[in-house]
Amino acid sequence: MSENYEYLFKFLVIGSAGTGKSSLLNNFIGNKFKEDRCHTIGVEFGSKIVNIGGKSTKLQIWDTAGQERFRSVTRSYYRGAAGALLVYDVTSRDSFNALCNWLRDARTLASPNIVILLVGNKKDLEESREVTYSEASQFAEENELMFLETSAKTGENVEEAFLKCSKTILAKIETGELDPERIGSGIQYGTSSSKRITAPKKPARTPSECACRL
Amino acid sequence: MASTSKGDLPASSDVQENPTNELEPGACPESVINPTDSFEEFASEMSTSLLERKSSLTPHSSTISEIQSEIGQNDKEPIKTVKSSDDLQTDDSVSASASTSNICEQNGDEDDDDDVLDYLQSPELVNKEKHVFILSSAGKPIYSRYGSEDKLAGMCGVIQALVSVVEDQNQDILRSITTNDCKAVFLVKGPLILVAVSKSNENETQLVLQLNYAFNQIVSVLTLTQLNRIFEQRRNYDLRRLLSGAERLIDHLLIFMEKDPAFLLGAVRCLPLPVSARENITNAIISACSKIRDLVFAILIAGNQLITLVRMKKYTLHPSDIHLLFNLVRSSESFKTAESWTPICLPKFDSTGFLHGHVSYLADDCQACLLLLTVQRDAFFPLSQAKHTITEKLRRSNCLTSINDALNRNEDLPTSNPLKYIGIPEIRHFMYKCRFTAQLFTSDPLSLERLQDYRIRHKEGGDISTKKPEKMSDIDYVKKYRKFCNQIHAKLIFRSNAEDTILVWVTNGFELYVTFDPLMEKDHAIKAVDRLLRWIKKEEQRIFIMNAPTF
Repeated sequence: MSENYEYLFKFLVIGSAGTGKSSLLNNFIGNKFKEDRCHTIGVEFGSKIVNIGGKSTKLQIWDTAGQERFRSVTRSYYRGAAGALLVYDVTSRDSFNALCNWLRDARTLASPNIVILLVGNKKDLEESREVTYSEASQFAEENELMFLETSAKTGENVEEAFLKCSKTILAKIETGELDPERIGSGIQYGTSSSKRITAPKKPARTPSECACRL
Repeated sequence: MASTSKGDLPASSDVQENPTNELEPGACPESVINPTDSFEEFASEMSTSLLERKSSLTPHSSTISEIQSEIGQNDKEPIKTVKSSDDLQTDDSVSASASTSNICEQNGDEDDDDDVLDYLQSPELVNKEKHVFILSSAGKPIYSRYGSEDKLAGMCGVIQALVSVVEDQNQDILRSITTNDCKAVFLVKGPLILVAVSKSNENETQLVLQLNYAFNQIVSVLTLTQLNRIFEQRRNYDLRRLLSGAERLIDHLLIFMEKDPAFLLGAVRCLPLPVSARENITNAIISACSKIRDLVFAILIAGNQLITLVRMKKYTLHPSDIHLLFNLVRSSESFKTAESWTPICLPKFDSTGFLHGHVSYLADDCQACLLLLTVQRDAFFPLSQAKHTITEKLRRSNCLTSINDALNRNEDLPTSNPLKYIGIPEIRHFMYKCRFTAQLFTSDPLSLERLQDYRIRHKEGGDISTKKPEKMSDIDYVKKYRKFCNQIHAKLIFRSNAEDTILVWVTNGFELYVTFDPLMEKDHAIKAVDRLLRWIKKEEQRIFIMNAPTF
């Protein structure tokens, strides 16, 4: 398959340190799960082209460091994001309690219209669970978030998380709630979009991207 | 049985007869690395007075700002290098000074007191050959190489008390405490106190050098400006909160300082490569990056060695900053799976602010890591594009293969096993540092397997070792050289005994350390060294980076 795509969506993965953000990104773009991952330094960038509702869409994903000292750097990448995975660790009450701060940052620094999916990661560690599904589901409902539990280790719901978020973004574009033409929407028309006469400059292909996975 | 050249004029004369400009391998008109990291600099650290030291840690000018103004970024948002006080105020306040409350706590509860004493004497701590402790000037624990910082709070209070008593009452600086079996070295750097306790044969200067590296690692993560500001605002701040996740960097740095003589000598190893391969790599980088205005350095490294360094005109990197970059890369597996965009402070280049680095490995099948360092925080995509362009060019010109061959110490390469090619069987080991360029070459070059071995072995490591290693590597020889290292004056030292023969030759242009078989005669050793230097000279274009390319 080719590098062509109709839309490009900018995505954030945010949440406390150690919740598995990098493992979610790596699982989604096809890398192997690693148990003893070191902390992300700054931000990490990955991308993948997926098919959503018949439209080829490139997801440009920024995985942000959870440590406090990187806040000023990671926040500069909130601007213009169309979607975000807000990640907590189901075995860590602290990471769930910190969600309000992360959510506030996302809505003020990115955009009020950003599509946010709450992700409870590490659901494979059922015996260590500290946050119940229903409690998190209620938090998501109260804050108008979508919600999924995942396991980056087993791969459960990882792709679904990104696709669910992307579908919602696409739906908002089609209903006019999100305007790709507006600066900062986090959405760009892609190389093969019929809505543009001249295609924008083609973004670089990342080493982790593989054509056979499209 | 030891002797020196001072007492033996004929040998000294023989050496002087060699034309020095022909036998200074690695020397070249312009150095890719700033070679001023040296013992002299650390020696000056040892001799500064209290007042001089306090003023020297105040940054005076910003190299990053200088670059930004030159390329016309005056209207850009200034780099935010300081945390806002709002963030700091979210902390719960601590009412008493840490050292006072620690002392009170120790007196308050007998059980706790006993527990702490037991912990300080536990095998976990006592059996280690070396300790490094970092605390704030208020006595709060920040980092400990071994053990739990929480359980060391009492001891940190004692350290802080010792340092402050010497400062306040004697108007002096506490440097070291020596006992029968170990030495404790103290270094005060602005708001931090660093202590190394060692039972090895490292001298005071060598330990201070290591503490300086640990301090620079913290500055690299935070910037000096931010570090100072934090403690100006909150003397009792718990710095561990900001350093969360960076302990790994300090751990790895301390491990490698014990393994790699490059730190001790203030030098950098280069990956030996054919001249044409290095030129192709450098040219690929220059052509891909020349239009990116605010790129300051492009650095390609592999296996703790430098492949090439391209720089903005006027600016150079010091070995100590390069070692921090090596440490960043080797401590982080995540750079292998994604492109990273990270703030990096290089303390010698500019301790006041961050460069922004695009960090990524060239390819899945090539373990070379490319760092593109810029003053522009929004430059990710141009640098990402440049990186892919570079990788494609290097693949087409077979440079990735050349790098892999060198990294895996392909046996056909003469620099993979120098002793075999030099053909002097009496030589067991050598280290050669070119002083003009701050580059190091040894008879036991690093390989990926060696690096991995260091990482694995050290998880169990650090205990005092009594058994001799079956196969000696660089660091085992370096332990013997340590007592000769870091001398200022040019000299020739020759020591021969039943175990081995060591020759150390230091001139203004180079430092050479050689280990021979036991009971080697001096004349033979001198002739062997002459042949060794000629071989290094013959291979210098492959071993060293012989120019200083710019964008």
